Amino acid sequence: MNRNTNKFSSETMITVLFSKLLKINWIIILCLILLGLVGVASLYSAAGSDWDPWARNHLIRLIFGFFLMFVIAFIPSHFFIKYSLLSFILGIFALILVKFIGSGSVQRWISFGSINFQPSEIMKLALILILAKYFDHISKIQLNKLIPYIIPILIIMIPGFLVISQPDLGTGLTIILLGFSILFFVGISMKFVIFSILISISSVPFIWQQLYEYQKNRILVFLNPEMDSLGSGYQIIQSKIAIGSGGLFGKGYLLGTQSRLNYLPEKHTDFIFTLISEELGFLGSISIILIFCLLITSIMKISFKVESLFSKVVVFGIGFLIFLYLSLNIGMVCGLLPVVGAPLPLVSYGGTSLLTVLIGVGIVLSINIHDKKV
Amino acid sequence: MKNKSQKKLEQTVSRRFLFLSLFKGSIIGTIGWKLFDLQLVENRKYEKLSDNNQFNYRIIAPERGRILDRKMRLLAGNMDGFSLVLNWNKYLNVHQIIKNISTIIILNEKDINNFYNKIRYQKNDFSKQILITKKLSQKDVAKLAVRIIEFPEISFSMSKRRVYPQGIIAGHITGYTGPYSKNIENTSLHGIDVGRRGLEKFFDAQLRGEFGRKRNEVTSKGYVIDSQIYENTKPGSDIQVSLDMKLQAFAVERLQRGNYDLVFVDNKNIKNQISKLKNFSYVSKNHVYINKKKKVVNPQSGSLIVMDINNGEILCSVSSPGFDPNIFSKDLEVDDWNYVKNNSRSPLLNRSMAGVYPPGSTIKMAVALAALESGIIDYNTRFSCNGSKELGTSKFHCWAKDGHGNLNLMEAIEQSCDVFFYELGLKVGIDKIALMMRKLGLGQYYDIQIHDRAKGVVPNIEWKLKRDGLNWSLGETLNASIGQGYILTTPLQLVTMVSRIANGKFAVNPSLTISSEIKKFKVLNINNEHLNFIKKAMEKVVVGKKGTAKNYKIGSKNIEMAGKTGTVQVVRITELEREQGLIKNEDRPWEKRDHALFVGYAPTINPKYAISVVVEHGGSGSSVAAPIARDVFKHLFKL
Repeated sequence: MNRNTNKFSSETMITVLFSKLLKINWIIILCLILLGLVGVASLYSAAGSDWDPWARNHLIRLIFGFFLMFVIAFIPSHFFIKYSLLSFILGIFALILVKFIGSGSVQRWISFGSINFQPSEIMKLALILILAKYFDHISKIQLNKLIPYIIPILIIMIPGFLVISQPDLGTGLTIILLGFSILFFVGISMKFVIFSILISISSVPFIWQQLYEYQKNRILVFLNPEMDSLGSGYQIIQSKIAIGSGGLFGKGYLLGTQSRLNYLPEKHTDFIFTLISEELGFLGSISIILIFCLLITSIMKISFKVESLFSKVVVFGIGFLIFLYLSLNIGMVCGLLPVVGAPLPLVSYGGTSLLTVLIGVGIVLSINIHDKKV
Repeated sequence: MKNKSQKKLEQTVSRRFLFLSLFKGSIIGTIGWKLFDLQLVENRKYEKLSDNNQFNYRIIAPERGRILDRKMRLLAGNMDGFSLVLNWNKYLNVHQIIKNISTIIILNEKDINNFYNKIRYQKNDFSKQILITKKLSQKDVAKLAVRIIEFPEISFSMSKRRVYPQGIIAGHITGYTGPYSKNIENTSLHGIDVGRRGLEKFFDAQLRGEFGRKRNEVTSKGYVIDSQIYENTKPGSDIQVSLDMKLQAFAVERLQRGNYDLVFVDNKNIKNQISKLKNFSYVSKNHVYINKKKKVVNPQSGSLIVMDINNGEILCSVSSPGFDPNIFSKDLEVDDWNYVKNNSRSPLLNRSMAGVYPPGSTIKMAVALAALESGIIDYNTRFSCNGSKELGTSKFHCWAKDGHGNLNLMEAIEQSCDVFFYELGLKVGIDKIALMMRKLGLGQYYDIQIHDRAKGVVPNIEWKLKRDGLNWSLGETLNASIGQGYILTTPLQLVTMVSRIANGKFAVNPSLTISSEIKKFKVLNINNEHLNFIKKAMEKVVVGKKGTAKNYKIGSKNIEMAGKTGTVQVVRITELEREQGLIKNEDRPWEKRDHALFVGYAPTINPKYAISVVVEHGGSGSSVAAPIARDVFKHLFKL
């Protein structure tokens, strides 16, 4: 945009702002609001018809998050290109820092006063930006040889393994999957794809040895939940019972017995979808998924529409990130995937994933507003 | 301005974009399918599992039916009992709570120990109701109830406790109830008792009623947040039995007294004697029996049964020593259990139905009937008795050392001459005797409403061959003819035998239930003339000049009893001992004394009731058992 606008009167400022607002994709905003409200309502139910301890906080976070999203939406998109490297370096630094000063038995969080901050979530955005910048830059030179892929693989693997070693297998794998999906998106050769799939399959026994006992357990229990129906398998069994017993219409809002009687573990965070499925049934759970699909396709549409490779990659990455959140979370709660600890953004209680998605969508909106041919 | 490679890149990206969209679509599709499968296809299964989570079902015990005697007196009933339970979860400071409760009411130490044991059993952290004590008095409840606010973790539960107001008098007949399951971890069946013995066991299905169910809504940690009746209980039905508890009470006292005297425990001598005895039983708190030599003795052991000869109803069935079934409906105290378990006189044995004794001379009617029925002798056949009979090298003695002289069957029964019956036995043979015994009801089980029972033994040639692989010897026939040797009977069989003789027409079977309909029994199929002759002889036993029970007539104008005494030797007397002179019964150790038996019926005209009395190691049938029978009849006919 024109840098010289500040010379003009405040009226022109307002018209510019207004023209930007018009360009905002309101379908995306509507989806986000709907999901956020579903989250608030579910958390109200999870607490046994109480605004505390979760629903009220969630609403406050949502309001703050939306505000942040709009602010980011008005930032010109070249700003992101400029600071992508810095954000990535800061992210890596935070991930290393968390190893030393992290709080909790598993070191995932950095605490600023009362605010807990999970650097691995922000890392996802930083990774998208840096990869987008890298490929945007490299595309202007050449892209067909295999060598240029070595740097992005490092860019992906370094944060990926840092997160896995926290240990947070779920987020770590998400980061790696996200990174490779971008590699694939920008046209890495199919030979390489097949080659890396073979590599990862052959490295399974090696990775298995590196896993923590509880991680191995989770995977074993995923393969056979009845193996430990009161221990690690308990979560997934109870979760399936809750979803399954919901039926077509559900047990009714606030009436889920599995959640009310505390059979659902983590019902306010990773297993919030279970609560929704139990209380609102198949129609409810499918509606949530459809809203997410609408959100993702709207973002993907932008990615298809924008001109510059940077914008394409960034928007695609953020859309794919939301897709990963959704499929990992729901795949996990309905027993398709092992319990890896993946939140359902905007709905689950927990600020980091909410902020990640809202900031991400903020960037998408900004690109949608400011995109022009580079 | 796009160069070639950039254009190519754009194409690739578009292709990949499409490919990835398909990939995402298929993943979302899979998730949707999975949800469809869980929520719609398998919905039923998960609904059921969810219900299992949400609810648990507790069994509620119905009120157990009562047991009543023939005059509707209570034999077994229920009393309200209060229990104190702790709604346990692992975060409670159990010791502190118990300590606080103990400041208000007194808790039994045993209960507390049991309680802590149960706490130790709790392996998981699910909350549970754990019993503190069952024995809470109304007063305790009141004391705790006013301060219940200090004890949010405890609650009362009302339960029914089985009581047997007749106590020790009819313990063997009523039996007792016990917990459904011994497993203390199985709390769902806590407080549910089932019949374990006696009538309680036999009629358990009727008495028990039908269980109800309570549906509790529970959280994942086991907290009950709601509870409602899901299925109502159906109380058990009452059972009326043929016993007459007044007669039973009289009979218990009379049997245990025997020929002893009741004394008050006041002087030092008696107290001294008691302290030296092991397993001694008082008559009541301050009374004991003493024998003729002023020595403190245990109450007599044995059995007494009175049976209606027309319909087989049992009016009283005593087994001494008895036990108090109430000790089983409380938590069994160690002392109580030790008393019944280790007592050498085995109070738990129901002697009337499961105790076996040689019948002694009371069998002689059966031998005589066998002889008459087979036509081997007639009423006038005479044998002479000089005190013993020699068979081969052995000598078989009559109880009368000098013999009875020449006598006929009537006289032989009246005087209970053994030699006469030796001769008779030899003539008739064991197989025919055994047949008659079976006809009269010996050596078989009856269809009676008590599970503990014995079959007894009616020996014959085949029986011995089967058991020992040995041939029957004639000496054994002689023994059997006077009711010694292999033959064993229960008191119930003896009373049945007498009932059948007195009835004359039907093979009466004993029963503990009352029925208004006339019972149908099999025809006895014994010549009535022969039976009348035997009955005449049994009358002679009491009223005859030489009758063995001549001292114990009822003496009423209208009602007299008839019967037969029996004295059963329990140790073999050697020839040497016989020559040296027999040691008097009272001077032998208790276990070596003779059993005293009497079987009979009354009145002699139109008989109504039959009786059998067995006094274990009581001495002679005529001096110990016969007076007991007479007194019971006197009580029965209100004379």
